Amino acid sequence: MTIQGADNILKLKDFIGRNRGRGAFLEHEVKGLLKELGLSVPDGIFIGKGVQPSAFGPQFSALSYPLVAKVSSSRITSKSDVNGVKTGIRDEGELRDAVSGLMEIEHAEGVLVEEMAPYGLEVIVGGVIDEQFGPIVMFGLGGVFVELFKDVAFGLAPLNVDGALWLIRQIKGYRLLEGYRARQPVDIDALINIIVTVSGLMATGLIGEIDLNPVALYARGAVVLDAKMTVAVHKVV
Amino acid sequence: MGLDCLFNPKSVALIGAAHTEEKLGGVILRNLLRFRGRVYPVNPKYRDLMGLKAYPSVGDLPEPVDLAIIMRPASEVPGIVSDLRNRARCAIIESSGFAEIGEVGLQAEVKRIGEETGVRILGPNCMGIYNPYKRLDTFFLPYERLKRPWKGNVAVVSQSGAIMSCLLGALRTSNTGVSTAVGYGNAIDIDEAEVYEYLADDKKTGVVISYIESVCDGRRFIEKAGVLSEKKSLIVLKAGKGQSGQAAAFSHTGRLAGRYEVFHSILKQFGIREAGDFDDLIDATRALSYQRPSRGNRVCIITNGGGSGVLASDECTAQNLEVTRIPHDRAERLRQIFPHFYGINNPLDLTAQVRDEDYILALDGLKDDYDGFLLIALPNVPGITERLAEMVRAAMVKINKPLVFYIPSGGVARRLIAGLERIRIPVYPSPERAVRGLRVLLDNPTVKQSNSY
Repeated sequence: MTIQGADNILKLKDFIGRNRGRGAFLEHEVKGLLKELGLSVPDGIFIGKGVQPSAFGPQFSALSYPLVAKVSSSRITSKSDVNGVKTGIRDEGELRDAVSGLMEIEHAEGVLVEEMAPYGLEVIVGGVIDEQFGPIVMFGLGGVFVELFKDVAFGLAPLNVDGALWLIRQIKGYRLLEGYRARQPVDIDALINIIVTVSGLMATGLIGEIDLNPVALYARGAVVLDAKMTVAVHKVV
Repeated sequence: MGLDCLFNPKSVALIGAAHTEEKLGGVILRNLLRFRGRVYPVNPKYRDLMGLKAYPSVGDLPEPVDLAIIMRPASEVPGIVSDLRNRARCAIIESSGFAEIGEVGLQAEVKRIGEETGVRILGPNCMGIYNPYKRLDTFFLPYERLKRPWKGNVAVVSQSGAIMSCLLGALRTSNTGVSTAVGYGNAIDIDEAEVYEYLADDKKTGVVISYIESVCDGRRFIEKAGVLSEKKSLIVLKAGKGQSGQAAAFSHTGRLAGRYEVFHSILKQFGIREAGDFDDLIDATRALSYQRPSRGNRVCIITNGGGSGVLASDECTAQNLEVTRIPHDRAERLRQIFPHFYGINNPLDLTAQVRDEDYILALDGLKDDYDGFLLIALPNVPGITERLAEMVRAAMVKINKPLVFYIPSGGVARRLIAGLERIRIPVYPSPERAVRGLRVLLDNPTVKQSNSY
């Protein structure tokens, strides 16, 4: 195991320790952990239920418009199903309206306001504990590719750099990553880093399920746009 | 070796031996009469059975045995296993009536007693072992109902006894011999991983085929399958491809992680070969049993019918095999020795006016330019005779590369096929199956991922 990997495990244990007794986490908490582990997430601010957006005034000025606001809840599995995402927010007025609207959604525990990420190729990186094989990781193209074609591949965790590259090459849509037609090739090293990091977390057996979905891939870098995670019910050795 | 008492026993006791083949215990005893070793039927109601002295109980046997076979009702099995302490090194529990019908508690009890007594257990709910070299056969299927394959180099490992019997029947039909066959059923003790470990060092085994419904410990399975794959050819056939992920999973990943998709991906990750279906398994097994796999993907197709050559060429493309052009100088030479109307391309078309020796001339001319050869002999023309087999045998000595045939039925096909298979050339009944057979021989299992193992 790399020093980086060992360090990540300590950070994960610390995170779970701080949140003892909780099964699932809110998006900004998972993203906070991922950021600690060196992955890129959009700049953002979490507004807890009952807190007025105006209280965050100075912090908001650190974010640049357009912004996106998303409902946060450990009980909502699909934000879009409950109309819980407002994109393209251009000014403070729109932001206030968006936040107060999202707070009204049933089970809302708060709203996460983030800078809108530029368009990138969207992929999914996830992990679960398989009944037969224990911790595994998954990689696939996002959006319609994962929904309709189930173009995903699985690997036994942990994966090293070679293993992550192998996993990426397993999907049918791999050529899209290499820059199909006029598209620019995406930053494969950044993607490998995400997969290796997630696989290392899964291999601890402490995580039940994790989804980084979507992850936007760019010519340089990759940003985790949404993330969810649960802790394992039983520790898998 | 740890499992020699199971695969290579010197003495066998049959608990539940019967006097008639109308009972399963009688069928097994009949099959055990062929065994090259000592056989002790156990049944308190008889003094002798099928000409052998019978013993009232395990305690009455004249010696502790290597292997005890149990064919008694499930409820009696815990007591029987308990009696085997110091009387048997391992046991095959063929009886059913355990976890497969929900009797999980009874199965757990047998497992616990096995661990306490130190008796290694295969099963329950299994067929046990067939080893033609030792003439050991613990199956409860009569010979008249299931003709066993001949001696050979293929080990058959099957979770299901019924599939095992189908596999053995198909292997016999396809002229493929076996080194051993083992049905492990509910696997409370000895599982597929431990069998792989044994077979990796078994000198008689060159190819292992494994039918799997589920594995208990996926990581152990992958580890042992990986070790075995490095020493022998392993082909896995997995049943249960339709099971989807957990619909209620919290994550998208959980909903997509179908049991089969995960299994399939991880086999690929570790370079373990998987058969697409039953026929594919039997075809691949014959190829690997007959010939040594080698590297490369350039295929030469030599045919006496243009259309069949094109079908084969299409399948090569689908299988990522390259039907590369014949090098210019070679083509020139072939044009000099062959009639002008032969098609000197790849596929090389020897036309309906072919003679047996043309195949050999073509092979001689092209043997250094390709990694594998597919010969198509449509036997309905007078130029194809059964002498072709003998000619190919002589040529193979110089070629020493994978070579398969596609021969449809008709003409001299039957005798020609028999002649070729005798010299370990696999013959397939369609161009596509022949290509897939060749593919297996040119398919270097992908390099094992340098994982953290």
